[in-house]
Amino acid sequence: MGQDKLFPAQNAELPGAFENITLKENHAVEILAIAVFFLLVTPLLSVHRVTDFMIFCIFAMSFDMLYGYMGRLSFGQMLYLGTGAYGCGLFIKYINGNPLLAIFAGVAFAGLLAMLLGLIIVRTTGACFALINLAFNHIGFFLVLSPLRSITRGEDGFGVSASQIGSLNFGSRPIMYGAVFLSLLLVFYFLRRLTSAPYGIMIRSIKEDETRVRFLGYNTFLYKWLTFALAGTIAGLAGALTALNYNYVNPNAMDVHSNVGVVFACLIGGAGNLYGAILGGVIYMLISNFLAIYIYRWEMFLGFSLLIIVFRFRMGVWGYIQRFWVHKLIPRFTKKEAI
Amino acid sequence: MLEIRNLDVSYGYAKVLHDVSLNIKTGEMVFLIGRNGAGKTTLLKTIIGLLQPQKGSIVYAGKEISNLSPERLYLQGFRYVGQEKKVFGNLTVQENIEIAAFASGEPMDVSLKKITSIYPKIKDFLKTKAGQLSGGQRQILLVGRALVGEPKLLLIDEPTQGLAAIVIEEIIHILDSLKKQVSALIVEQNLSLVKQLSDRIFLLKEGKMVREIISKSEESGIQDLEGYL
Amino acid sequence: MHYTIFYGLTIGAILYFISIGLSLTFGTMRVINFAHTITYTIGVYILITFVIFFKWSFPVGAVLAILAIIPIAYVIERFIIRRLYGDSLDYTFIATFAVALIGVDLIKWIWGPAPYPLSDPIGKYLILFDVSLPIYRVLMVISAILLFILLHLFFKMTIVGKIIIAALDDKDGVRCLGINVDKYFSLVFVMGSALAVLGGIFYAPISSIHPYMGLAILLLCFAVVIVGGMGNLKGTFLSAFALGMLMALTARYWPQGAETMVFIAMAVVLIFRPIDI
Repeated sequence: MGQDKLFPAQNAELPGAFENITLKENHAVEILAIAVFFLLVTPLLSVHRVTDFMIFCIFAMSFDMLYGYMGRLSFGQMLYLGTGAYGCGLFIKYINGNPLLAIFAGVAFAGLLAMLLGLIIVRTTGACFALINLAFNHIGFFLVLSPLRSITRGEDGFGVSASQIGSLNFGSRPIMYGAVFLSLLLVFYFLRRLTSAPYGIMIRSIKEDETRVRFLGYNTFLYKWLTFALAGTIAGLAGALTALNYNYVNPNAMDVHSNVGVVFACLIGGAGNLYGAILGGVIYMLISNFLAIYIYRWEMFLGFSLLIIVFRFRMGVWGYIQRFWVHKLIPRFTKKEAI
Repeated sequence: MLEIRNLDVSYGYAKVLHDVSLNIKTGEMVFLIGRNGAGKTTLLKTIIGLLQPQKGSIVYAGKEISNLSPERLYLQGFRYVGQEKKVFGNLTVQENIEIAAFASGEPMDVSLKKITSIYPKIKDFLKTKAGQLSGGQRQILLVGRALVGEPKLLLIDEPTQGLAAIVIEEIIHILDSLKKQVSALIVEQNLSLVKQLSDRIFLLKEGKMVREIISKSEESGIQDLEGYL
Repeated sequence: MHYTIFYGLTIGAILYFISIGLSLTFGTMRVINFAHTITYTIGVYILITFVIFFKWSFPVGAVLAILAIIPIAYVIERFIIRRLYGDSLDYTFIATFAVALIGVDLIKWIWGPAPYPLSDPIGKYLILFDVSLPIYRVLMVISAILLFILLHLFFKMTIVGKIIIAALDDKDGVRCLGINVDKYFSLVFVMGSALAVLGGIFYAPISSIHPYMGLAILLLCFAVVIVGGMGNLKGTFLSAFALGMLMALTARYWPQGAETMVFIAMAVVLIFRPIDI
């Protein structure tokens, strides 16, 4: 059987393929909606917080590519966030202070690492996939903490101060906000296009029934690997932005235990949908920023919430919105969302 | 004894059986034939409780059984032999039989006697790991395992698939000796075997029951079955 | 070098104790039980409660810890894992992870986040071939080997063991023979958790006891299970000792790289033998 068909010729054969999807969608409206949303909440929360929120949303979208779209639960996505942060920070510290180049370096670092590890990791599925990611994340954390401490400064971490290019000063809050804002919209647009293209149908089909996709003659390994690398790259972007936003990198950027945050965000927002990821990201950040002071036992809270989600609330918030609200109000909209 | 009415079964997102009805009378050996993918295996798995039907009923001895688990159905006398010829490969033949005898509480020597009566040569293999048996021996072990306890209805999926002609003879012989002792629903593609043993034949096509043939009266009916396979 | 080999054996013994449960639940229920970390940790904390706070003797504390974990493990299996049977494996993983989170916080709540020290309960040395070995560690290795033999006999001689072996091969086949496998899976689960606690009890005096102690060891044991083959009892035994030895040897030349080496070994195995779980 030929293993080299790249693009689905007859989508209808694929298990994840739904009825004809419209490729020409009005992304402009969606992007505008997201932009307006974040601009509106900014005065309510504060520029710094919203910058943080948006970075987390980028991270949540990268995770959702793997989990929501391709059905591969990763418990080690923090590795790529951390690699992006360290890549960016180390670049500024040792090579060049240019923040744009540094972001690029962080993204490239994380992307390359994901490409390399992806070769091994995408061979597994299910809980094994989750654990093997966690294992690699654990190694990464350990590496920056101890064997590489001469460059990473171990536990203490190091400061990141990007130099100014013209009037572009990443030290200033509004400029940082703008950069993150633009990144978020770009990533959203890019992923939105990608997931509604044949590629998106492919990875959703892999989620539904990988064996069948393979028997139809598609090279599923390649798709899984590409998605993994892509998710790693985007997580790297979130990491690089984190480093610039905090002017600081330490091993917490790669902390294994932080993975649960993004898993929680995607589940509560509604996995398998970029809106769900963004919404979940915002919800999680709101809880951890504002409610956490009142929740004395934070891990227990997360644990019980996850159990409730798994047993009772699998659709997530966006799933409910789609079902009860969008369906009734904007029927035209749901047709696209159902993809 | 078994009556299936208007059964719909889906496997994941795809509907495999559409409105299937079928019945088996006590002591009958009924065959189910049809092309690959017609839904024969799905039907057997649904009867034994490994799959749940979306619609329809399965009535056994006057009781609805479509929601019972395989464990419960075993105690009612249902025996299922799957297509994959899966024995417990890491256990010996004797241990395989031991596990079969466990739930029914039948003493081991009684079970062994039943199996040796249909296939005396099994005595030589009792200490062999079941994983090392040949395909034919596995199939015989599986059928033998199904006779442990008090079987009422055998459900056998493709008993001769992939086996050598000489082994098939053996299996025909075994199945023939079981006729009248138990009822059976057997999926089979080998038409000469079907002709030899069947009381009735059901023909499945693309998930629908298309024909029922009473073998003795319709000798010619069997001839043109070839076209369906 | 003698020391290195001996330490390799001790690490192997601990890895073996903790991996069995993981491997068996993997093989029978097709579930990666993340809550394994927490049953293990709670067991150790129960041990120190008896040994440090009540000043009872170590063996008594150990037995009580193992007994205490049995109902906890049963509840996790019965109310979390069994309810998610036949569901997507991801949900089981997330749910068991959630249980681990709750457990970690519970430990911090009851015992506090600070680590506890626990000293070697025997403290004597055995002189063998010119090297002195702590008797405690010698006992550990002997127990691991004994356990392997006992488990082997259990799975070979008892009908329960045979049913579990059969279910590893073909769960549906066992169900179709009228045997309610869920009951046996519960047993496997509880047994695995109890053995993990036993491993934890052995490990506690030579490591530090803190709420997150389960994670690192779980990842190592996960590697053991992948290398040894899921549900493969002999494989788990061999791979636990092989990886333990690998860790000891790496630590001799590059102390920081010991754990990393284990994961590299796992990656290599995965490249040649991909798995589908």
